[in-house]
Amino acid sequence: MRRIRFGKHLTVLLAMIVLMGLPSMSFAAGKTETAAGAASTATLFWAGYDGVTEDYRKGLQDAFNAVDPAYQIDIVPVPWDQMKDKLTTALAGGKPPDISIIGTRWLLEYEELGQLAEPGAYVGKATIDDIFAGAKEGVVKGKLMGLPVAAGARFMAINDRIGKGVPKTMEELREMAIAANDPPNQYGLFMVGQKNTELTEFAYYLYAAGGDFFEKKADGTFGKSTVNSAAGVKALSFMNQLANEDKVVQDGYLGMTRIQGHPMFYADKIGYVMIGAWVDSAMKQAGSTFPVTYAQIPPFAGQKSTPLIITDSIAFFSGAKNLKAAGKFVDFWYQSEWKGKFDELAGFPPITKKASTLPAFNTPMYKVMSEASVNAKGWPLIATWDQCQDQIWDAVSKVYLKLATPKEALDAAAAAIDKINNIK
Amino acid sequence: MPSSVVNPAYVNRAYKKPAVAKWKNKFKPLVIFLTMVFLLIMLFPFFVMITMMLRTSQEVYITPPRWIPQAPTLKNFVLVWSQYLLAGYFKSSAIIAIGASALNMLLSIPAAYAIARLRFRGRQVSLYLFLVVQMFSPVVVVIPLFKTFARINLLDSYIGLIVLNAVFAMAFSIWLLSGYFKSIPKEIEEAAFIDGATRFQTVIKVILPISAPGLVTTFIYTFIAAWNEFLFALSFIQNQTKMPLTLGLYRFVGRWSSQWELLTTAAFLAIIPVLVLFYAIQQRLVGGLTGGAVKG
Amino acid sequence: MAERALFAKTRFQAKESRLAYLLLLPSVACILGFMVYPLISVGLMSIFRTNRLGWLQKFAGLENYYSVMGDKEFWQITGRSILWTTLAVLSKTIFGMVIALLLNVKYFGRKIARMLFIAPWASSVPISVLLWSWVYHPQFGLLNHTLKMTGITNNPPVWLGYPLSGFIAAIWVDIWIGIPFMALVFLAGMQAIPEDLYESADMDGVNAFQKFYYITLPSIRRILQISTLLSALWTFNDFNSIYILTAGGPVNMTDILITSIYKNAFVYARFDKAAVMAIITFIILTILSSIYARHYFREEN
Repeated sequence: MRRIRFGKHLTVLLAMIVLMGLPSMSFAAGKTETAAGAASTATLFWAGYDGVTEDYRKGLQDAFNAVDPAYQIDIVPVPWDQMKDKLTTALAGGKPPDISIIGTRWLLEYEELGQLAEPGAYVGKATIDDIFAGAKEGVVKGKLMGLPVAAGARFMAINDRIGKGVPKTMEELREMAIAANDPPNQYGLFMVGQKNTELTEFAYYLYAAGGDFFEKKADGTFGKSTVNSAAGVKALSFMNQLANEDKVVQDGYLGMTRIQGHPMFYADKIGYVMIGAWVDSAMKQAGSTFPVTYAQIPPFAGQKSTPLIITDSIAFFSGAKNLKAAGKFVDFWYQSEWKGKFDELAGFPPITKKASTLPAFNTPMYKVMSEASVNAKGWPLIATWDQCQDQIWDAVSKVYLKLATPKEALDAAAAAIDKINNIK
Repeated sequence: MPSSVVNPAYVNRAYKKPAVAKWKNKFKPLVIFLTMVFLLIMLFPFFVMITMMLRTSQEVYITPPRWIPQAPTLKNFVLVWSQYLLAGYFKSSAIIAIGASALNMLLSIPAAYAIARLRFRGRQVSLYLFLVVQMFSPVVVVIPLFKTFARINLLDSYIGLIVLNAVFAMAFSIWLLSGYFKSIPKEIEEAAFIDGATRFQTVIKVILPISAPGLVTTFIYTFIAAWNEFLFALSFIQNQTKMPLTLGLYRFVGRWSSQWELLTTAAFLAIIPVLVLFYAIQQRLVGGLTGGAVKG
Repeated sequence: MAERALFAKTRFQAKESRLAYLLLLPSVACILGFMVYPLISVGLMSIFRTNRLGWLQKFAGLENYYSVMGDKEFWQITGRSILWTTLAVLSKTIFGMVIALLLNVKYFGRKIARMLFIAPWASSVPISVLLWSWVYHPQFGLLNHTLKMTGITNNPPVWLGYPLSGFIAAIWVDIWIGIPFMALVFLAGMQAIPEDLYESADMDGVNAFQKFYYITLPSIRRILQISTLLSALWTFNDFNSIYILTAGGPVNMTDILITSIYKNAFVYARFDKAAVMAIITFIILTILSSIYARHYFREEN
């Protein structure tokens, strides 16, 4: 009998395999990636910073691995949005990386769980001393548990073609935004309306109104939530006024997260935006040509300027096995020209004395950022912050969707947050 | 009487020409028109993908948006291939997907045959057991699985992902294949037995060829599922050289901005092998049954 | 002759069940090997108080269940999950069926059309959903631009900004990803229908719709059952479409059970609550499957 021509079928399959195999061979020929067979290979979870290229990651890895064959590093790129998931899984599964780049506020969470090792035991004193004292935010219970990688205060970028000058107060900003607003050609102010991973928008306005997220007890721990304070209500009412009454923010702001919305500024459509260090490289990438001025996020009238500052740290995990190699890597990275290069690519002001002398950091943006960092305030260091933050985001959304007044929404959020933190 | 082959007449009697044919002839223009409409809807995001990947980064953010890029370019292809080591990701994905499909077939065909053709106790229970795996999302089981894998040293290995993808696709494979095997008239098989063929020979020479569309569907399903699996790969793979494409694509999604022109380029490249594979194999899906067995 | 057949049959049966267990051994071993520990561990987490890494701390009995089920929002989310699954599976089945019928007709270029229809399924889900978020973008998105350009509407919605439109946008993406699978499986099923059935129907002067209803549909019923059941299980647990597009927002009004499970586990680090929801998901899906399975097995006998 004549049967199915499996031969032909098989040929197709084999051809596919060869087709897919081919590129891999060319890859194998040029690879220097693996550091197998070395005495001690530390693993680093490397969160991608916009602007820090693949070439840089690979170059840094190769450079360190060439120094001493006994100590090697494997720099594993992890997308930011998935970093927490991957770390949590690895820690919960008992096989953490040696070191990882993390958001500084996660330190508290991991310290409580007994997962952290003190970097000071593995990293040379010279390296730690070279870091600016002000940047060492990763202190938990008096011990430095994380080394800063990048620290950047948020500031305001003004499109000079659209904007009407540099505002000194929030009230002035509102007037200027109204004057600059001309939809759909151009919008006065940028606003994020869709929930995303960080609560930055509300924090800008809350800090500008002199408010804070929690009351601070005498022993340094956090007490009741204060988002529904007069300052909090003022901040949210003001945001709502800009978005829904003055309508000076970009159309469709409710459907835009930060990552989707900021390009509106790069596209020369928005007068004022509160943003961070990446703006410079992002504008270059988008080919923006308009003139831009950098300034501080203004406070409300009668308040002190208090920008938001966000830092990332390197954490060492006590459950890992190659911490010594990891420490040597951090020494190498921070003390060579590689760290300065990193700061420059990522767009963040340097955190080491060594790097800060580089001419690349002598620009208007860096000046504004270092000025801002003097009075800046970070996220509250509280383990349940992600959950608290969600409650506040919900309050903001409720107000935008006209489901509640700012006062009602924030009262509900404060109550929910106190419940999360078990505070009566 | 020949000992190991089946008289084609048995096959022929049960299966005539494919159902495709002429009964819809008069509707052909309508069919083609509707196909075009559905294609337009289904491929909409791919049109977006294609127009994005042909742009320079300067043309990504413009309002109002444009369908046709002003300065079309192919340099994104060069960039993703040369700078982002896409080839390595392709290799890993190919190994995982082909391995998982093969393993899946190896596990599913015997099980499906047993369920379809043999009488034994616990038949329904075993069929149900395969479904249970589908009731827990990977999100739920990823941490315990990580622990298991860490204990048996399958983290950071292709084998771990191959096995996992094969296991997660098994419910579909076994349910579909057992249905397929069952729909084959018993007489065909019995005829082969009478001809003196062993059970194994019957399966290889009669059942499998007749079930080609089912096998192809199973293969494609597992291949695609493994090719696109994200969460397990993210959690279990640390070595850069073993990362599959799904992770590679995420290299273009930044913390504050995404490189849409590169992301779409890489995503486009990632689909090509799957489509080519499907194109090559679809003949079996369609004509496998009758075209092959009858016309030979 | 008859006696010989009977004798052969009993001997055959004993051999048969032994062979069956042998054939099932590898696949069942794989499933048990990999899935038993995770399932037990989820079960344990649901009755313990866990720490922020999901490690068991203190026995809690049914406390976690009470606290989850006492929350009004949980029931809304469960209801939304069921709505989500019903709508999505129904749409996938209908679209999949129509496309399979279209692709079952011979014409020039059919092979290309088939290949193109596979595309939504062939691309990585998280990346597809990201791409959709770009398509839905209120300003840069080509969807709203096209709607305006073609005059379909001058005021297209801000898709991801509101609960209802966000839900529609997300469910469409889930449907869009699921259609090719359905179409392919149905198409494969239609190949098994012998043509003489249609030919004799032609002689009886039956119209196309009747042919579909009386020949095609009954012939692929089994495949229809299997694929809708599996699709329901997958759709219920589809995490990416909603999480990447709206993250369950605004104000959790587009959350379904699986996104809520994810949030509780990986964002809030409340693994105990997440485990409870996973167990409840399991119970719902078990009920659904056993209804299906009973139907399936009854027809079989």
